[in-house]
This record gives sequence, C-alpha cells and structure tokens, in this order.
Amino acid sequence: MRGRRVGAAGARAIAGVSRSLPSDHSPRSSGRAKFDRPDDSAPWQLLLPRALPIPAGKRLASIALGKAALPALCFARANPRAALPAAGSVGWLLRAEDLCPRQMLPDPSGPLGDEMTVWGQCDALASLGPPAPHMETEGPVDVRHVQWLMGKLRFRWRQLVSSQQEQCALLSKIHLYTHGCHSDQSLGHLSVTEAEMLRDPEGGQQLLRTLEQENRRLEAVLAWRRTELVFWQWMDTVLGTCAPEAPAAASQPTFLPWVPECGDGELELVVRELQTLEEELREAAERRRVAWEAKARGCGRGPEWSATRRASQETVEKELGALQRRWEQDSGPAQAHGPHRLVRREDGAAGDRDLRAAELIRTLRSQEACLEAMLRQLQGQCRQELARVAGALPGLIWIPPPGR
Amino acid sequence: MSIVTVQLGQCGNQIGFEVFDALLRDSQSSHGLCCKRENEAYQASCKERFFSEEENGVPIARAVLVDMEPKVINQTLSKAAQSGRWKYGQHACFCQKQGSGNNWAYGYSVHGPRHEESIMNLIRKEVEKCDSFSGFFIIMSMAGGTGSGIGAFVTQNLQDQYSNSLKMNQIIWPYGTGEVIVQNYNSILTLSHLYRSSDALLVHENDAVHKICAKLMNIKQISFSDINQVLAHQLGSVFQPTYSAESSFHYRRNPLGDLMEHLVPHPEFKMLSVRNVPHMSENSLAYSTFTWAGLLKHLRQMLISNAKMEEGIDWHVRPPSSGLPSLGKKSLNKDLHFNTSIANLVILRGKDVQSADVEGFKDPALYTSWLEPVNAFNVWKTQRAFSKYEKSAVLVSNSQFLVKPLDMIVGKAWNMFASKAYIHQYTKFGIEEEDFLDSFTSLEQVVASYCNL
Repeated sequence: MRGRRVGAAGARAIAGVSRSLPSDHSPRSSGRAKFDRPDDSAPWQLLLPRALPIPAGKRLASIALGKAALPALCFARANPRAALPAAGSVGWLLRAEDLCPRQMLPDPSGPLGDEMTVWGQCDALASLGPPAPHMETEGPVDVRHVQWLMGKLRFRWRQLVSSQQEQCALLSKIHLYTHGCHSDQSLGHLSVTEAEMLRDPEGGQQLLRTLEQENRRLEAVLAWRRTELVFWQWMDTVLGTCAPEAPAAASQPTFLPWVPECGDGELELVVRELQTLEEELREAAERRRVAWEAKARGCGRGPEWSATRRASQETVEKELGALQRRWEQDSGPAQAHGPHRLVRREDGAAGDRDLRAAELIRTLRSQEACLEAMLRQLQGQCRQELARVAGALPGLIWIPPPGR
Repeated sequence: MSIVTVQLGQCGNQIGFEVFDALLRDSQSSHGLCCKRENEAYQASCKERFFSEEENGVPIARAVLVDMEPKVINQTLSKAAQSGRWKYGQHACFCQKQGSGNNWAYGYSVHGPRHEESIMNLIRKEVEKCDSFSGFFIIMSMAGGTGSGIGAFVTQNLQDQYSNSLKMNQIIWPYGTGEVIVQNYNSILTLSHLYRSSDALLVHENDAVHKICAKLMNIKQISFSDINQVLAHQLGSVFQPTYSAESSFHYRRNPLGDLMEHLVPHPEFKMLSVRNVPHMSENSLAYSTFTWAGLLKHLRQMLISNAKMEEGIDWHVRPPSSGLPSLGKKSLNKDLHFNTSIANLVILRGKDVQSADVEGFKDPALYTSWLEPVNAFNVWKTQRAFSKYEKSAVLVSNSQFLVKPLDMIVGKAWNMFASKAYIHQYTKFGIEEEDFLDSFTSLEQVVASYCNL
C-alpha cells in the first residue's frame, strides 16, 4: 500500500489521536514494523486497525462528550451559605483560587466543603415556570398518601440541614486546629483537602498521578481538535489510493504480527461497515425526527396550546426583566467568579479578589427573600384556585388544616 | 448523631435514669454474641449517641434534668454517680424549691415562662456539646402537673428555637384509675399541645407495663422502679445501634430520623406504641429458648389483636380476608378488634437474625388502604444481642393501638368539662375554656383520623 506523505500537520494530528486513546493502548515504535513501503505509512498502520473497527464517529463523539463534561465538573454545584457560620466576631473570607484541583476530577461525591465556586446571580434564581398544562392521573389518589410523602420530604430536608450543620462544625474544627500550620501566612490554616492530604499522603500521591494522567489526555484531545481536519483529509487521500490497489496488497508480505485481523479486503469491509453505520444512523435520526414531529403536531395548535405558550412567554419575559433589574441594582461591587477557598481570619483583612462571607450571606438572603415571596404568591394562587373550586360545589365546606 | 434527652418532672427523671443505665449496661455487656470488634463498634455508637466523654473516661449522659422539686433530681444524680459506670453532668439540672401541685396550667403558664431562659440555656449547652446533633428525646408524664405542663411548654420552645431538629416525646399514659382527679384534663391539654409541636409521641401505658411486671416478670410488689426498668428495656431495644440499610458494616447514624421518617411523616398520625418480645425475669431467661418464627408470630398477633404483651393474646382476631373489596374493610373494623396499622417498624436483635422471616408483617391486610406494605413496613436486623436476650424483637407501631384509651380519656375529660368541674384551677393561670375546647377539637380529629383507617 502506498500512502501519501503524511506531512507535519498530519503527523501531529495522528500523534494527537494516539495520545488521546486509552492508556492500555501500546503504540509500537515504527522501527519494529516490517515494511517495505515508505515510512510515512507506518503511523497509519499503527492507527487504522485500532481506530476504524470502532466506528470513528463514536470515539470522537466520546472525546467530544468528555470535553463537554469538563465545564460541568469544574462548576460543581456549590452552596456557600451552608458552609458559613452565623455572623460572629471571626471574619470569613472566600479567597479566589486559580485552580481548584479536586473539582477537575469526575468525583461523584461532590465538592469537599471549603472549596467552592462562586457563581453570578443567575445561578441561585430558580426558574419556576407555569404549571404543566395537563396532569397525568392514574386513578384516584388518597390525599393522605400525598400528605405522607410530603412529610417524608420534610424529614429528609431537616436531616439534610442537620448534616450540613454537622459539616460546618467539623470544618470549623479543622480550621481551628490547623491554625498556624499553613506555609502561606495570609491563609493561616489548612483547608480540608490539605488536611486530608497530610493525613493520607499516599492518597494524595494517587490523586496527583490521576490528575497528571487526566491532564495529559486532555492536552492530547486539545491537540487532536486542532489538527483533526488535516487528519481526515489525509485519511481520505489514503483511502482513495488504497481501494483500487487492494488485490495488489495480497502479494505483499504480511502485516505486523500484532495486527492479525488486517488482511485483504479488510479495508473494504471496514469501509462498508462505516457506510452501513452511517445509513443506520441516518435512518434512526429520521425515525426520531418523524416521531417527534408527530408528537409535536399531536400537542395541538388549538387555543389552549397558544394560550399556554403565551403564558410561558410572558413568565419568561417577566423573569428576564426581573433578572436584568436585579443585575443593574447589584452591579456595584463586582463579584468575582470561579473557585474560592474558605479562610478564617481574625483580623478580617481581605485582598482584592476576596469576598467577605457576610456580603455573600446578605446577597443570598435577599435572593432567599425573593424566592420566598414567589412561593407565597404561588401558594396564594393555589389557595384562590382551591377556594374557587370549593365554592363551585354547593354544600362543600372548606376546613383549612390547623396552622402552627 | 447525638440525641439530647430532656427529663421532666418526677416521672421523666426516674425513667431517664433507668434508660441511660440500661443503654450503657447493655453496651458494656459481654453477652453480645458477637466478636470483639463488633462489640466495640456497638459500644462506640451507643456512646456517641447518648453520652459524652470526660477526661477520666466516665461517660456523661447527654441529658438535662428539670423538676420543680429537688428531691427526685438529687436521688437521680446520686444513683447515677453511685453506679460508677456513668453519671450526669454537674450543671445539667434545673430545679426549684416548690412543686406545682399537679396543676397543668401552673406548670405551663407560670413555671414555664418564668424559668424558660434557664432551661433553654441548659439545653443549648448540651446541644453545643454535640458534634453532630440529631434531635431531642423528651421524657414526661401526661397527667401530672410539673412534667406535663412544663413539658408542653418546653416542647413548644424547642419547636421555635430548633425547628430543624427532631423531637420525640416519650409520654407516660396514666393509670386508668389514677389518683389525680384532674388527670384527664392534664392529659388532653398535654396531648393537644404536643401534637402541634412534637414530631412523634411515643406512648407507654402504665396499666400495660404494670401487667408486664405482674404476669411476665412475676414481681409481687411492683414498684415504680420495676415499671421504669421494663420501660427502659423497651426503649433500649429500640434505640441501641442497628445496622444501616445500605451496608451491614456500619451502624446507622441517625436512628431517630430514620424511625420518624418511616413511621410519622403524616402530621395527623403521630402516636406510636412499643411492643417487645420476649420479656421475662432473668431467672426464667436461663431456661428458655426462642425461635424467630415463634417470636415473630407472637409479635404479629400482638399487633393485630392489640395485645399489650405476649401472654393472653387473642388468637381469634384475624385480618380481613383479601377477597373483600377495600371498601368493605371499614365496616369490618367497626368493632375495632382488628388493629389496622399505618406503618410498622420491627427491630430484631440477636443470633441468626438474618434468617428471621418477617413476611407476615408485609400482608397488605394489616395496613390501611392508602399505604403499600413496601412503604409501610420496615425491618432493622442486627446481629448483636440485646441485654442478655439471645433473640429479641421490638415493634414500634403507628396504628390504632391508642384509639380506645384516647377516646376514653377525651370522653371522661369532656364529662368533667361539661359540668365545669375544677376549671377555675386552670382559668386562674391563664388556661381559658377556649383552650380546652381547642384541645377537645384537635383530639377528636385525631381519634376520627385513626378510626377512618
């Protein structure tokens, strides 16, 4: 098989792909390969059996997915309010950090506690849309069962609050006990992650190794993204020249021993597989689209539908307006974004990029008040609706439950 | 997670002492039928929950003692110290020099507000000692003066100041033929107030425990101490460590929370009772063997037939057969011989506990129609045996157990109220007839809710 000269860009692209493949992949040096063709085809030899039997689209899609998941991992949901004690004499700061190592890993257990990411205002505002236009009922539901479930939810909520209080107490202890241990005088005490690393250095080493591995793979992915186009263009040319020469390949000496599955016509097979897969995907996509359209059409274009749409639009506009107004109101001190670290300071001195916990608490409290107002409004609407329904039925007496 | 116990009045303080004593004695016993490591984990879990440590290693009960007379508190403190194994905190008690004459109104409207700050301060100090705090366990009588009036007041305060913490009130139901003439007034006032501010009311009936002492333990001269020890045994078998649902290698961290979530999420159904098997004197224990099948069969029948103990069970009571439509259940239960449950929790401790078969408790006929057995029934199994019983089972039940007694008390109180007897004792201290009427209304509602299961 004769391939075109790869060229520097293509070589970089290929190198990028190979580095981004799983680590149990063992790229062999081209020196060990037995070729009697120009060297430039060697990298292609290395990659083709590995890369193509798995439909190329899938692998690249998974890389793309990995990249998309990164932002989600980094900006893990944080709850700064829960980690801070009630206003006291001790000053708490959120020190901006350049890197938040823990959050770079796909850690299912979530953020540790004294490292968090500060979002802008938009995060905390819940978007409560209008209620669903129709309810699914699977027969009569006993209201006592609903009350039971509400009660369970309330208990879970209270247990969550207790757990968070416990977490705060422990955080406070760690900060207090490790006072004076940190090399950085302005910080003064260790964070939970640092304390954990000291307690379990082996675990810390393991973490470091995993981090470095992740970093290498991510860099490789980035390199691949930059040179992807070149690679595929080159691949096209190779496939173009390869196919008609397939019969001639049979007379060539065998391929590398570690590529046993590659024989004559294998390439043909693979290309055909790719084409079938493409067909299948297209059909599946078409089927989905048709089904969705039918469903969307089934939703009806009646007055109900447009009324709901209008209501949704109005709510969204209202919320957007509220958001913008709030933005303008609070555009005073610019709030830093990104990862922060909780620091306990006796003197209360703060750097430029530091946030005072008290201010953050104030902001969050005002947001909480906002949401509570919304909740009360919605509850009022529910009550009015209930009263209207109850009023419509003659002889029905409405006894509200005893309040606290 | 730790539980802070508030012991109120004579009743609360005497029972509280027995409970702590039973818990610690069991955790330190070597009859656990398990390996050393397991025993240590059990001990550690029990200690963390109910005791804090002092420098010399003597566990200190996480408790606040409140009474208007010094006598009982002093007795309690010295009994604990004498045992040598544990003690109460030095500054954990609050008492005055005067009693309250069994006057609920005086306890609620005078003693309570007057001493509110001191009592709540003591409680706050105890809570702050906890690394992780789960909730309050408040022990009180329902019908006395101090315990009940102040208990209602304190529980209300806890509701205001610790709204996210759990609160379970351990209530002593008075003897039917009690000596306090206004005990029914006190009872309904206590119950109605607690229903609003507490999460769970764990009821022990004096009559029932008395019978257990007489019939099962063969005690001739039954003293309050005997009764309290039976009570403590039942509470211990509920609150000692149990494995968590997720893993059988860790004891669950928050038994109070788990128990409440399983049994009392509905705001109208908060009354819980406890039944445990087996229960006998130590002498008989040495000669008895039990099987899980036998124990569970008895426990199930106790549940269905509303029996208070494993002797004298009415085996004729059967759940309504499943062939009938669900609407038919209501008419069958009119005689209330069959005890319908909302939710049940069975806790098994001891040898071969994994082989215990609790299928009998998952019968839908046992439960009300709006809750499936998979949600209504829970079982916690722990290998480690409790208090010298090779096998023991305890049932915490939210069911119609207490409907009849409650109905009786409300009826008697209403009769007295209709003739305005003794009302002036209450109105003198700010409890008006309106408050009585409110109490009657809410308790009638509770009775009706339970009857309509």
